[in-house]
This record gives sequence, C-alpha cells and structure tokens, in this order.
Amino acid sequence: MAAPEVHHLFHAPISDHSFSDDRSTLAVARDNNVELYHRSGKTFNLQDELRGHDKLVTGVDIAPQSGRIVTCSQDRNAYVWEPSESGEWKPTLVLLRINRAATCVRWCPGETKFAVGSGARIIAVCYFEQENDWWVSKHLKKPLRSTVTSVAWHPNSVLLAAGSTDGHARVFSSFIKGTDERPEASPWGERLPFNTVCGEYLNPTAGWVHDVAFAPSGNALAFCSHDSNVTIVYPSGPEQPPQAVISISTQQLPFTSLLWSSETELICAGYDCSVYRLMGDANGWQITGSLEKDNGRPGLEQREESALNMFRSMDLRGRASSADDTKLKTVHQNSINTARIYQESGGNVQKVSTGGVDGRVVVWTL
Amino acid sequence: MSNINWRTINIDALDPESAYNFDLTTLTPAVQPVSTSDVQTLSGQIRQLVRGGDAEGALRGALENAPYGADDQGKQIHLSTVTEVLGQIRQTEMTPLLQRMYQSEGGSELCDTLMKYLYKGMAQGTSHTTNNSVHGRSMTPQATGFSQAGGRSFGAAEGGGQAMSVFLSWHEKLVEMVGPGSIVRVMSDRRTV
Repeated sequence: MAAPEVHHLFHAPISDHSFSDDRSTLAVARDNNVELYHRSGKTFNLQDELRGHDKLVTGVDIAPQSGRIVTCSQDRNAYVWEPSESGEWKPTLVLLRINRAATCVRWCPGETKFAVGSGARIIAVCYFEQENDWWVSKHLKKPLRSTVTSVAWHPNSVLLAAGSTDGHARVFSSFIKGTDERPEASPWGERLPFNTVCGEYLNPTAGWVHDVAFAPSGNALAFCSHDSNVTIVYPSGPEQPPQAVISISTQQLPFTSLLWSSETELICAGYDCSVYRLMGDANGWQITGSLEKDNGRPGLEQREESALNMFRSMDLRGRASSADDTKLKTVHQNSINTARIYQESGGNVQKVSTGGVDGRVVVWTL
Repeated sequence: MSNINWRTINIDALDPESAYNFDLTTLTPAVQPVSTSDVQTLSGQIRQLVRGGDAEGALRGALENAPYGADDQGKQIHLSTVTEVLGQIRQTEMTPLLQRMYQSEGGSELCDTLMKYLYKGMAQGTSHTTNNSVHGRSMTPQATGFSQAGGRSFGAAEGGGQAMSVFLSWHEKLVEMVGPGSIVRVMSDRRTV
C-alpha cells in the first residue's frame, strides 16, 4: 500500500473540497472563499480564488464533465461558477429561497441538477430554467424536522438521500419534469413524483446524521451518525420494510463522512482524524481497520533515540523523551470533514481524498 | 387588543411551520412506558440474583431491562439497583465479566447501557447512595455555595465516595474495551436512564 499523499495547503479548516475529473484542479472551501489549486508536479499551487460569498463557504462541488463549480455558504446563497472566455470564473446566483444557512451541496450524476441542504429544514433541488436563463429551485420540505447536514445522489439522478440533525436519514425523489427522464424502477420505488419519501431511517440512539451515501449500484444506503454508529440499509421494494438494516457501533469517535469504495466496502473518516475501512454485505458488516500505517507517523521522520538526544531534550524541555507529543499519530492532525472519491475505475475506487480541520488534503491509496 | 403586551406574545406558537408546534417525541425512538411498580418488581428479582451469587446475571438482567420509559422515580430505583450490583462485583472480576458481556449477542448495546448508568451514577454525586445517613449529611447547606463540589468531598469521607470509586474503576475498564465511541453514544442517545 502506497503512502498517503499529503498536501498541507494552509492553517485553516477545510469545510469541503472537490477535485476536478482529471484531478489537476482542487477546489477548497476556505473561510468565505473557495480557492482553486492547480497541480504542478507533486504539489498543488494556488491558482485562482472564487470570491462572492460573504459568510463561511460550507460546500463546494465540481461537476466532473462540465467542469462547473457549485458553492454554497452560510450566507444562504449558492453560486454556479463557469469559466468565461477570458479565463475568469463567472458566478451565477441560484435562487435558493431559504432563510437559514446552506450546509451542503452536491451535483447529481447527470449534472443537470444539484441539491443544497440547509438549516431551514429544506433541501433546495436546483435546476436550470432555459427560458429565464437562471438556476431555480424546488423545495423538499416534508418530513424534514431539522437542519439537513448532508445530501447524496443515487446514480439515477432522481433519488436523493439526506441526513438531518433530527436523527433520520431519508431518501426522497427529486424528479423534475422537463429536466429528468423517468427513472427505471428500483427497490426504492417505481412511480416517483417530486417529494416522494422512499425511505426514512432512524438509528438506534437517534443521534444526528453526519453523512449519507448510496452504494455504487444505488441499491443500498449507508449513513454515519453522531452516536459513532454506521448504519447500512438494504431496501427490499417500494412500500415494504427494508430487507436488512445493519447498524455497527464502533469504538471510535463519530465519523463525519463516508463513501462506498465498492458494493461491499465503505470508507469512513471523522473526529478520530483517521480513515477507516468497513466491509460487509446484507448479512453483516464490520470495521476492518484503519488506512494509517500501524507504526510510526507517516510523513514524519522518526528521530533516533540516543543518549545525547535524551539529555539535550531534558535540558531544553525538561522531559526525557524527545517525542513531540503535541503531534497526533495520524496523518491528519485534526478531525476530517469530508472524504471523497479521488480515482476509480470499473466501479472500484482506488484512491480517496480527505480534507480536514487541519488544512490538509490527503490522497489515500486503498 | 390594546392592553395586550405584544412583546410577550410567543410568535413561534402562531407559526404552524415552527418547531414549537411540533411534537419532537415523534422523532425519537419509541420507548415503552414502564410503571414504577414494575421497576420495583424487577429490582426485587435482580437483588434475588445477587443474593444467589449470580452478580453477572443480575447485571445483565438489569441492563437488558433498563426502564427507558419509566418516570424519574422509577429510573432512580433502577439506578440504585444497578449501583448495588456494581458494588458487589470485585475489581478482579470486572474485566473478564465485561469481556464476556461485550462479546455476547447485543453486547455492545449492553455496554452502552452500562456506560449510561456509570455517568448517571457519577452525576448524582453522593446525594444518592443506599446509605441514608450519608444522604442527609451531604444535603446540608454549604456556606461556599459550591454545594455540589462540597457535597462530594463530604460524602467521600462517609462512604459515598466509595460508590464513586466503584463507578470510576468500572468506567476505566469499560472505556478500555469499548473506546470513546461508547461515551459519544451515551451523550447522543435520547433514551436516557
């Protein structure tokens, strides 16, 4: 397993990050702006800045094919950024019509829509209206009872999963006439008018949900919540109780982000500052370990213990050990906010990237 | 209308969309209401087990049947039952017992419930021990105003601190096994003990 690739961009929290499809551009949400980094050799250099929001940017997502960037912020706005002919990025305001902060944003796989979660107990499903040349939104309201913390798209671009602080993970239909084609029937449902609730799941302790994700096939849903549980739901059919709901209580601090690397493997990261791998299927899941190297600290050279070092350290710091115990043993030096797919082929994810409060973006090889 | 002080009107109550007009209990896991007498019967059975020498069975029974739906009094009774059982188990037996419990079916949940009782027990300070004389003593008003802190140190001299040291040693052994995840679960769980 190759060592993780660490990019320490700055000393500020990264609330969200996104790589372009060719992985040469990295968009990072930093305070009120989004910074665009370009890869040159082994490092990323600051290339451009998307200024426009006047409060903390909470979500950023680059559409893989079109290259459009969508951002959302606590200032209750979302912008779609497109490169103009002169090479500058031009924002288009999206009419979200929410009266609380926007918390998360994701393009649907078809890239015709995106969903914005908000603190107003609303998910705004946004699409482009040709006749007005304008991004407009339709609201998913019921039965959300609290802030939406995360949204995730089904591969068919119609079903949308959302996690909320009311402790529920829900699956909605976000079908929009004129934009979407009628989706094929799936275990989640057959007829799917807008705001159909296809599933509503509560974890055993009702801890709030941090992140949700659909399996690559779309036939399973995973969510992680603040009670350190990861729950995986396998639906059986429309209007029927799910075939299996598996909840794993972990020994770690809660996960804030998760993704499916294949149909039988989940990658989770969160307050433990480390990335974990979970494996299983409809019969059961278990945590199989961390992606960190077992011994030592990757990326940091281990200093050899010698008598000289010991006495020097006692003299300088009043401690016998030269180990700097302000450093965590993990690659990330603070909690991880988002984990995203970095590279995949044939439905299997080979690399994932994580961004954290420590201002690092790390690319992990699975 | 003119003599209504409009500043005191609760505007949330007038907004049908507001969370104020929404019963939040529908969002939490459903718990079965348990009457106080049921809790008492259960605690009698558990004490029976302890007297019979089966402390492990007693602890399991107490944790499996935690009365989430009971009122404050019922919960208090169950807490003192659990505290009593915990006090009966020797230091050296704690770790093997916890291991057996954790590895059994649904063990993780049992450990979480135990963690809830440990925290609840520690939060009680010494105001709730089986010894009634300590109860009276620790409730005396403190001149300093730090009644909780004062109460604790007073109790420590009387034997209430003994319960605390029992909780602490259980807590140490339990965290060693189930990690900080269990503590986070206790904090986020809406089913309180």
